[in-house]
Amino acid sequence: METSEELNFLATLLPLVGILFIIAMGVVLLMQQFRKNLYRQKLAQEELITLHQQELLRSSIQVQEDERKRIATDIHDELGATLSIARMHLMALETQNKNNAVENAAAFQNIRSLIETSMTSVRRISHELMPQNLQMFGLPETLQSIVKMVNSSNNIHILIKCDEEVNDLPWALKLGLYRISLELINNTIKHAQAKEICLDIHCRHNELTFFYTDDGIGLSENFEKNGLGQKSIEARAMSIGGTLKVGNKKNGGFYAEMTIPDIQGKA
Amino acid sequence: MKDFSKYIIIISHVPILITSCYALITFRKQQTILKVFSCFLFLSYLVQFASLLFWFNRMNNMPLLHAYVGIGFLMLALFYKKVLEGFISGTVIYSVAIAFLIFTVLNSLFVQSVLTFNSYALTLESVLLIIFSLTTYILLLDKTVKEKRKSLVSSINWINSGIFIYYVSNLLIFYFSGYFSRYFSLEFNRYTWVVHSFFSVVMYTFFFIGLWRRAKN
Repeated sequence: METSEELNFLATLLPLVGILFIIAMGVVLLMQQFRKNLYRQKLAQEELITLHQQELLRSSIQVQEDERKRIATDIHDELGATLSIARMHLMALETQNKNNAVENAAAFQNIRSLIETSMTSVRRISHELMPQNLQMFGLPETLQSIVKMVNSSNNIHILIKCDEEVNDLPWALKLGLYRISLELINNTIKHAQAKEICLDIHCRHNELTFFYTDDGIGLSENFEKNGLGQKSIEARAMSIGGTLKVGNKKNGGFYAEMTIPDIQGKA
Repeated sequence: MKDFSKYIIIISHVPILITSCYALITFRKQQTILKVFSCFLFLSYLVQFASLLFWFNRMNNMPLLHAYVGIGFLMLALFYKKVLEGFISGTVIYSVAIAFLIFTVLNSLFVQSVLTFNSYALTLESVLLIIFSLTTYILLLDKTVKEKRKSLVSSINWINSGIFIYYVSNLLIFYFSGYFSRYFSLEFNRYTWVVHSFFSVVMYTFFFIGLWRRAKN
């Protein structure tokens, strides 16, 4: 009798164990869903933070560029004009004092050459601050003009291939590419002891690829990833939505590769 | 002894009345989550008092219970959906609620008639609400959930505890009711309903505290 009651109790208890198991399983499944949703939310949040940082960077670079443009215009229009007037007055004085002593003529000549040097410097600085050529002729032409300038020195040879489609890109993107190219060329000339630089910028399937190499000594072991130049290149790359990779080539030399996806969306 | 049980069962309806009245008074100031829960309280109040009236008039109040199980669960599912919004997909909770509704209708139509005690539907309702309440407990331990439900954490905790305590006791009572009726006296069985009423009082007291502790701003 006792055994029969025990069996009855057991028969009642066993389904309860099943119910408890179902409850536990239900909680576990809901918890898994919770973890998944939480992970997704955190990812979305991080993406928002990154987007916000990119936006901040973009606007700070924009402010920097606007300021450069203002300084370039001021230098060119005000200082340049003042120097031109000073040169004009000096030339007038030179004509009036033709009969004066030879030492005076030499002094005039000296002042004039100083003014002319200043005028050249003003033009160069204002062009560097805001590349007029880029605005007028586009990126491929501007880069080619730099190539001509550097190649004429005969110390280093630059080869640039740049698709014409790049000119259809927004100004901020073109300016970003120009500044990055200039910074990289400048770094190679200064530190790499290279003989050749190759730069390839092309647009394929709504993606822009920027590939820069030189045959110099490459990055040293104690290369500062947080150096000012490197930081500036990375910030610019990030502000135009690009992903930048830098390193040493297998056969020696330095390389920098940047891809910018969805360039049509940026237009 | 029969009268004692009777009075206990009648008195157990008082906390429902107090809590529902309080929910009605504060309804306009409540946040959406608590408004959904207050609607459940109003429904409970109506059903419990209607069934008490039926009981006094010696009428079968089981059809009311059949309807209450389905609609009550739907409202509690909606409450949990609001509490767990953003963390547990609403589709999961809605799917469970709809599946349960179909089950309870089929159970009332074909298995346990509307004139009999619907123990299957009540047992399943208890299981599902225990799952929801346990999940809510665990979720409320998470920092992100706490941050999001900031002003309502205390209220949700009290309400969830009330639901958990009542439905666990419900599950055990309904589950063992068959065993008790087979092996124990009628008086013992009546006591199980007194115990049930006690847990109902505990639940509505917790609900009252939950509504009381809501963020006043």
